[in-house]
Amino acid sequence: MTTSVSSDVPLTAPQPSLMLFSGGRGEFLKMLIKGSLLQIPTFGFYRFWLNTKIRRYLWANTQVQGEAFEYTGTAKELLIGFLIALAVLAPLYIVYFILAFMLEEQAAFASIPLVLVMYVLAHFGGYRARKYRASRTVFRGIRFWMKGSGWAYAFRAILWDFAMMFTLGLALPWATASLERYRMRHTYFGTIQGDFSGTGWTLFKRGWWIWALSLIAMIASFAIGSALEAADPENGKSLAGGMVFLAILVVMLLWPLTLAIFTRWHIDGLRFGDVVMTNNLRAGPVYGLFFKVLFSSIGFMLAFILVAAIFAGAGYLFFDGLGALFFDGAESGEPGLAEASTIFVTMILYLVFLLGFGVINRYFFGRGLWAAVVTTTSVSNLPALDAAVAAGQPSGVLGEGLADALDFNAGI
Amino acid sequence: MDAVFYDGESARRRTVSLKVTASSLDIHEGGEWIASWPTGAVRRKDAPEGMLRLTCEGGPLLARLDVTDPADQAAIRTHCLRLEGRESKERTGRILFWSLAAAASIVLCVAFLIPIFAEKLTPLIPPSVEKRFGTAVDNQVKALLGDKVCNAKPGVAALQILTERLQKAKGLELDLDIAVLESKIPNAIALPGGKIYVFQALLDEAGSADELAGVLAHEIGHVANRDGLRKMIQSGGTSYLLGLLFGDVTGGGAIVLASEYLINSAHSREAETAADDFAGQAMITLGRPAHPMAQLLKRIEGDEDDEEGNERKLPAFLSTHPVTDQRLKALEKLVPSKPGEPLLSQEEWRALKEICKPT
Repeated sequence: MTTSVSSDVPLTAPQPSLMLFSGGRGEFLKMLIKGSLLQIPTFGFYRFWLNTKIRRYLWANTQVQGEAFEYTGTAKELLIGFLIALAVLAPLYIVYFILAFMLEEQAAFASIPLVLVMYVLAHFGGYRARKYRASRTVFRGIRFWMKGSGWAYAFRAILWDFAMMFTLGLALPWATASLERYRMRHTYFGTIQGDFSGTGWTLFKRGWWIWALSLIAMIASFAIGSALEAADPENGKSLAGGMVFLAILVVMLLWPLTLAIFTRWHIDGLRFGDVVMTNNLRAGPVYGLFFKVLFSSIGFMLAFILVAAIFAGAGYLFFDGLGALFFDGAESGEPGLAEASTIFVTMILYLVFLLGFGVINRYFFGRGLWAAVVTTTSVSNLPALDAAVAAGQPSGVLGEGLADALDFNAGI
Repeated sequence: MDAVFYDGESARRRTVSLKVTASSLDIHEGGEWIASWPTGAVRRKDAPEGMLRLTCEGGPLLARLDVTDPADQAAIRTHCLRLEGRESKERTGRILFWSLAAAASIVLCVAFLIPIFAEKLTPLIPPSVEKRFGTAVDNQVKALLGDKVCNAKPGVAALQILTERLQKAKGLELDLDIAVLESKIPNAIALPGGKIYVFQALLDEAGSADELAGVLAHEIGHVANRDGLRKMIQSGGTSYLLGLLFGDVTGGGAIVLASEYLINSAHSREAETAADDFAGQAMITLGRPAHPMAQLLKRIEGDEDDEEGNERKLPAFLSTHPVTDQRLKALEKLVPSKPGEPLLSQEEWRALKEICKPT
């Protein structure tokens, strides 16, 4: 709803305005399905167009006080970013290969630590990808943008990774707070600098029991599992496996709750000048999304298996009959028509299978989660933004390209 | 109803009134004229449902006009005929065409250029480097299959005699290192650099020295042709290129593996035929028949069939060591003109069969 407030009339008290998400479900689902299916004939290249469309939909439907955001990135930029990343990674992979071999000569699997290089690249690419997305986000005709170096960020992030490793994950709240502060302080809306006021201690206080519970669950499962295996060597192994599975289940079930706690803390801490944000996402809706994904996936899997079985049965009868008439490929060692078509159809079915899960995931955890977060977020002191003047330039696409080529998740 | 204007230079929200004519879109704020946008230059930008968001091509890049009044929207749509602009239209057909073309050219390169590249590069790599590759592969083989090399002295001596006779038959002086590895897999492998492993299960299945000699000669053939090295270059190059381009696509990982396997299998079959030829020639030069080797392999494969003796379900073109009728026939044709003496004495053969017994 447009609340036509003339800019001359001063507001009395800074009432927090609840954000609004106006995107329709059907429209999104159709876009998602069409885009996913188009990835098959385009060998995956269509993903740049699909991702751009998704972002445009999400940004444009996110509103506060009747004003909507805008995503100005293009699919061409993402494609170019991917090609640039390839040009960077191509020689890197060769060096990696040679180094790996030299290490493998010394001892088997000695080249595994080289994967650390990929982690550094992931952090670097993640920061740069965020830089790209920020600088393609426009609100009130003003661009968001970021300063800061991807390498400086990656350096900090790796140090925090080590800290988390040595503290069994306990350092996570402080790592998140520190890294988010770095990111937000380097983010600008025009001339207004961002900041992050959340602290590691606050997050720790709210969520330490989850960490403790997960740790206890894992340790207990190992302990009980080993005891079972020692007591009953024959059945013990499967029971021990069951215990580990239970522990993982416990951790998984805690995840939506963790996400809600984290989201509230995260958004509560975001600042742009005097503009303050608050969020009260509860765990309930996140659990709702979680179980919707679970049951949709199971339903899809069953439906798919049923359809595939019917097709396979029909296809087998068809080709078995024809096979005697045409090619007897199995004997000559060359792929016959039957074999080649079977493999082709199987590949397509496999892709459709995987893409289906991708659609379910993005529908609920992409759009659904976005909508849930947006509709529980309020912005205060919005008029403070009036002082912002245009600044900053659109940044480069290397980060997005790396994120795509290395297949790490840099957000939506 | 008023529209909202953002001038793209400050974040101030300005309430404006619009006047739409055939030639221009005039924007006024509280009576004061702000801008006039030529109707031909007005473009539409992303907006929520019910809102028409516009910009002017040629004006400030981020200037926006948000129009919510339906009458205004209708007027704008009537007079501004190029709202969609040229860039924003997605041409799906073009995307399909170019993606297909790009992917096809990549796949063709991989299928044809990489084997040529591997073929050209292999002779250029010095044996010392090949040996280092072999060591690295050996470490992994030992890690995966166990490192229990059978070393009963009489057996090792018998194996040595057999190897020397086979090498002499082809006039070669390769740096070979043949050993028997304790394993339940009935197979033999040749690593780059001259290391050959015969697995215990294959040795157990062999009924005569001729059978084993044929298999050994086949593996020596692989070493002589530097097949291991070539395969590594080819396989490495294929997975590198395909992984780089398609690896991060949904399902790409498995598809890449599958295509790699198919491409590699095709060339494996050529290498296998060459190694068969090598083995056949070696056996004939020694005056021994070549088909026992094929019978050994057929017997091993036969153990894996089901009770009715039907062929395994794996289509031949997917297997890298298919014991096809072709192979059998080719080997059966190779009969020595003059029979030679047995390659190992009864005593030596027995010693070799017991190479894995602890002394």
